[in-house]
Amino acid sequence: MNRMAPGRRAHPFTPGAVALAVMALAVLLPDTTETTALYLVTCLLAVLVGASRAVRLALAVIVPLGALLFIMQGIFGAEPRIAAPVFGTLSQPGLAWTASQTSRLAAIVTASIGFATLFDPHRFLQAAIARRWPFGVAFLVVASLDAAERLGEQARRLREAQRTRGVAVRGSLAIRARALPALVFPLLLTSLTEADDRALALETRGLALPGHRTALDPPADTGADRAIRWLAAGVVIAAGVWRVVAR
Amino acid sequence: MRISPRLLALVPVAVAINLVVGGVVRELALPVFLDTLGTMLVAVLLGVGAGVFTGTLSQLFSGLLSGYQYLPFVVIQWLIALLAALAARRRGFAGPWRATAWGAACGLACGSVSAVISYLLFRGGTGGGVAAINALLVSLGIDLRTAVTIGSVTTDVLDKTVSFLTVGILLRRMPLRILGRFPAAARAIGQ
Repeated sequence: MNRMAPGRRAHPFTPGAVALAVMALAVLLPDTTETTALYLVTCLLAVLVGASRAVRLALAVIVPLGALLFIMQGIFGAEPRIAAPVFGTLSQPGLAWTASQTSRLAAIVTASIGFATLFDPHRFLQAAIARRWPFGVAFLVVASLDAAERLGEQARRLREAQRTRGVAVRGSLAIRARALPALVFPLLLTSLTEADDRALALETRGLALPGHRTALDPPADTGADRAIRWLAAGVVIAAGVWRVVAR
Repeated sequence: MRISPRLLALVPVAVAINLVVGGVVRELALPVFLDTLGTMLVAVLLGVGAGVFTGTLSQLFSGLLSGYQYLPFVVIQWLIALLAALAARRRGFAGPWRATAWGAACGLACGSVSAVISYLLFRGGTGGGVAAINALLVSLGIDLRTAVTIGSVTTDVLDKTVSFLTVGILLRRMPLRILGRFPAAARAIGQ
């Protein structure tokens, strides 16, 4: 029995299509009640497909953002103002905008991070090859994610090495600014040298040659996957038409 | 579509530079972002098109980490690619003063566009250091539109100036064997 989470078992294009649909709906839906419902549905979907971590991670992004919007719009927003138990009075249009925008952003952030949680670069590459997408573009997506992970690890090791050599990364702005060249330039120079070596390796392996590749292990694109993608597209189109007609 | 091996090798590294160096700077809590160094580098080494592609990919990947609400700011990445490539053609990285001038001009342009996006879509509440500056200015009684413009332009001028200086230093320190493969980069530093 396949015990992998449903979101990871799905065809790699399916979570992306659903996330895109949620983001489009977050922009299209006009009312706070609707965008709040969309956020709750997105959270539920994330939990059901095995991306519940995304709900927690998204909250860490949304809560500070919502607080900032509340300060800027709720406290310092335009007239008319309403009485509030704290802060004296609050801006009525500012509060309404904050609620609407925060629920919209919450749906977008949760969908994005949910997609990131389920995204498997190598399955994506296989699916893109099977679909005859331009190989270069698909390769760049996967290679960029690999490079970011590698460079992140190099940055961590470099930071430790420079610290042991006495580079201070805490303290006043001047002290922290002085640490920047020691941390950044070696990283940049190493990356460029690595890219140069890699270009040669890619050339000798014929990676830039034209022609279609054969996917070794293409992920299955089931009827359920296709139905979900069509449903996602249909809901977005329906919401778009509804917005135009309702106006 | 045929993509050169040099592009296939350099773009992922540049995207990683955008993501990772931005993280290093955040950890040091400096008032700059340096999250467009990779875009600038590729634009200088391989031209505007490659820079635009790198910027778009970087914005897409950073969206995976913090959400796609910032996707409209991809326009800034395109503008940076365009201005960095233009600066390279005009020997804009030939010395610290030239790099500072081009960086400040790029910051002014990017800050202005960023202020418009930030005001129209987020009313200044984009999160992070810029939004904190905006909130502070608003609390001092400055109207929101002016506060967002001041916040965005100030931070962008500082950030892009430091970024252009960094790219200039990097190009001058680059091993000659690599610099030789990129005639545009050699011209950018006046060689």
